[in-house]
Amino acid sequence: MQVYLWLKALHVAATMTWISGTVVAGLAVASRMACAGIQAEQDRSFLAVVRRWDRSVSLPAMLLAWALGIVMAMQAGWFSSPWLMIKLAIVGALAALHGVLSGTLLRLNGSADQPSAILLYAAPAAILGVVMIAILVVTKPF
Amino acid sequence: MIMPSDPAEQLGQLRRMRLVSVVEGVTLLILVFVAVPIKHLGGHAIATTIMGPVHGMAFLLYVWTLIQTVSAVDLPTRDVVRMIVAAFIPFGAFLNAHTLRTRLALLASA
Repeated sequence: MQVYLWLKALHVAATMTWISGTVVAGLAVASRMACAGIQAEQDRSFLAVVRRWDRSVSLPAMLLAWALGIVMAMQAGWFSSPWLMIKLAIVGALAALHGVLSGTLLRLNGSADQPSAILLYAAPAAILGVVMIAILVVTKPF
Repeated sequence: MIMPSDPAEQLGQLRRMRLVSVVEGVTLLILVFVAVPIKHLGGHAIATTIMGPVHGMAFLLYVWTLIQTVSAVDLPTRDVVRMIVAAFIPFGAFLNAHTLRTRLALLASA
């Protein structure tokens, strides 16, 4: 039980780090759409900082969250539970969203490109995903 | 082909994609040709218990890096389709590594 609690604590910490990085990446990409002229120059520096954070913190946090989540689910025998299947689908969508944002940050580096307008909703979508996961994991409704 | 304006970023991303492709392929090789025989011939299930999740993680990272690469670099559609299909074919990641090596050589010589 002690090991399980440590795994759970680290999984939650890694997830919080990953999702907060994804939200910041979403806001950084959205900020590009609102910037022009001198503001765009300042925005480039901000994008560079976010891109470094994404590579050195958010990505390792995501991998740690996945690994610890798999270990916990195997230990607890949850892979047959419907709530976990739904959670995994949401986690997959969040990971895909993070991948798109991470790639977009690379594309925008030193470029005048404008990101896709739909990415304006990336940060709220990430928050919505996390809220759904929190409800599923805490209540385990089915 | 439209490319990001920073060629170093672009080359770096393709190199990362190629590295992850190779890692995914190698973990599958170890799983199929080392861990599975150890389990069935040697009776030690621990080999697949370890290598199964390791390969699973490598596969997830491969798919994630593919999404990142497609978002970062405008590759030809046929290359993107080939990489997506390769993700679901055993050892397809090695095919990807070859495709990416060719693409990297083209970019480096440009």
